[in-house]
Amino acid sequence: MGCIYGLIALGLTLIFGIMKIINFAQGALLMLSMMVSYWLWAATGLSPYILVIIVAPVMFLIGYVSERFLIKPVLDAQKDVREPVSVLLLTAAFAIVLENLCLMVFGADYVMAKTSFSTQTLALGSVTVSAARFYGLLIALVVAAIFYMFLKYTQTGRNLRATGQDRNAASLMGIDITKTYAIAFGIGTALLAVAAVALIPFYYVHPSVGSVFMTKAFIVVVLGGLGSVPGAILGGVIIGLIESIAAQYMTATLTAMLVYAVFLLVLFIKPTGIFGSPYEW
Amino acid sequence: MTGLINKNRIIIAGLVILMCLLPMVVTKPYYMHVIIMCILWAYLASCWNIIGGYAGQLSLGHGIYTAAGAYITMILFNTYGLSPWLGMFIGGGVAVLMSFIIGFPTFKLRGAYYALATVAIAEAIVVLINNTGHVGQYVVGGAEGLIVKMVGNSPAAIQFNSKIPYYYIVLFMLFMIIFISKWVKESKLGYYLVALREDEDAAAAMGINVRRNKLIAAAISAFFTALGGVFYAVLIRYLEPNAIAGATMSNQMVFLTIVGGAGTVLGPVIGGILLSLVSEVIRFYLGGQLMGLHLFIYGLIVMLMIIFQPKGIMDLVDRIKRKRGKQDQGEGGASSARDASGA
Repeated sequence: MGCIYGLIALGLTLIFGIMKIINFAQGALLMLSMMVSYWLWAATGLSPYILVIIVAPVMFLIGYVSERFLIKPVLDAQKDVREPVSVLLLTAAFAIVLENLCLMVFGADYVMAKTSFSTQTLALGSVTVSAARFYGLLIALVVAAIFYMFLKYTQTGRNLRATGQDRNAASLMGIDITKTYAIAFGIGTALLAVAAVALIPFYYVHPSVGSVFMTKAFIVVVLGGLGSVPGAILGGVIIGLIESIAAQYMTATLTAMLVYAVFLLVLFIKPTGIFGSPYEW
Repeated sequence: MTGLINKNRIIIAGLVILMCLLPMVVTKPYYMHVIIMCILWAYLASCWNIIGGYAGQLSLGHGIYTAAGAYITMILFNTYGLSPWLGMFIGGGVAVLMSFIIGFPTFKLRGAYYALATVAIAEAIVVLINNTGHVGQYVVGGAEGLIVKMVGNSPAAIQFNSKIPYYYIVLFMLFMIIFISKWVKESKLGYYLVALREDEDAAAAMGINVRRNKLIAAAISAFFTALGGVFYAVLIRYLEPNAIAGATMSNQMVFLTIVGGAGTVLGPVIGGILLSLVSEVIRFYLGGQLMGLHLFIYGLIVMLMIIFQPKGIMDLVDRIKRKRGKQDQGEGGASSARDASGA
């Protein structure tokens, strides 16, 4: 679970690191990915993990297009403004639109992809874990590793990082900022698609599921340091661990409160998070 | 210059009188309620504007202040019978305290951290309220919500059988916040806030204590937001944690302000009244049909507004004024230029 938080936070931190935008539609886009994967799974009966081949590109496209037609115009109009507040609100409004669109189309029912391994458990040495969760963990780790390599070693990855460091300098070096932004947003959404297929075998899907993960993703991102890739994963693991360990000893409410308490504590002690630098923003 | 100001004053005075006389025309309680809610939203948006608009610190958890005001005042009222007129100051004080707790660590940092911290803390508070049935002898209500004790028609408890007294109270609150907004904006604090919004480093270099001024702005905003929460509590007489503290409440204030025009005195008021009226009308006509349709349309309107008019309605008004100012030349132009630079 923690790694999936990390994966969701990864998309958030990527978009933030490069575009300096907090994407409030992240939760809603995750919900959309989960819905799409669920219905694809229901229609084809294939394993959700195979469906990622379809869902990820579809979500990438959705992310790419929505950046191009929704966020870019506002960003252009606000070039002289230091903090693109309007863009942030645009994503929040976009989230409302998406959530209610899905509510209209899919209804408010809770659905879950009941695969053959949804209820299975695996025995790893002395520990027993739910199979679906274990696969989810593996997927998250593999994708995070691939993503890290991509960012580090490919030309597009270099472009992304350069744009994140200094927009103007990158533009002077001949990087197409417009395209890079759209790609960043697209990848951020595609990561959600991966998180979605990892989630649906063991997590209920409904139109407001996004908000459950949204706040967690925010906490993870701040915990790890805004814009930091390893921070997102580590932060995700920390939150996931706190949740699952605390759940053994206390009620669900107290567990949730504990997560927030840890978050506040980190804010007071090292406000920039584990990997954040105070000058990044 | 005097000509235009006078004309403006006459228009404002006319509007004030019209608004005061409104209850004579509108007799149906439902319409009255809608109008009251619209004004309350305008008020809350104006409160948010002080920290979000002037200081540019994006608070996405203002719902916790409405909740602080509403819950504390009403718990005191329910347990001790303390009049909300007094209780609201305690609620407001707690809200100010909360704003310090959030602001102190995060205002050291730039923009995004504050926004994210407010979201997380607001979410934490919602979870907390939802799961707290009672603290000692104080009944909080938990997820079932808190019902305000009914005492019948009682001005001391701010409970009236008719909607009209509420209307005048909220109208007074709106005028008060407009006045305060104007005062903050034109005071030293307002200039500091705008300076630190535009460039924090430059503001600090000019000797402005950035963190302190942000904290002051946040405290003012929190206090008046809490008063709005108290009004909500006495009007609705039922506190539902998600409605009063949740993301819907917090986001609404932000949307209204941005659509109206953040950082202007009248922007949040105009945005608040127009947008909440629109959303109420959509809800009224479409709410019963397809689930989610009215919110879908509402979100769409907000999105379109931000895409085509990212600086809000006030910016549009200013541009029209400026265009007209060019035709008038002289005093009209100078005055609207002053408006524009102030906006």
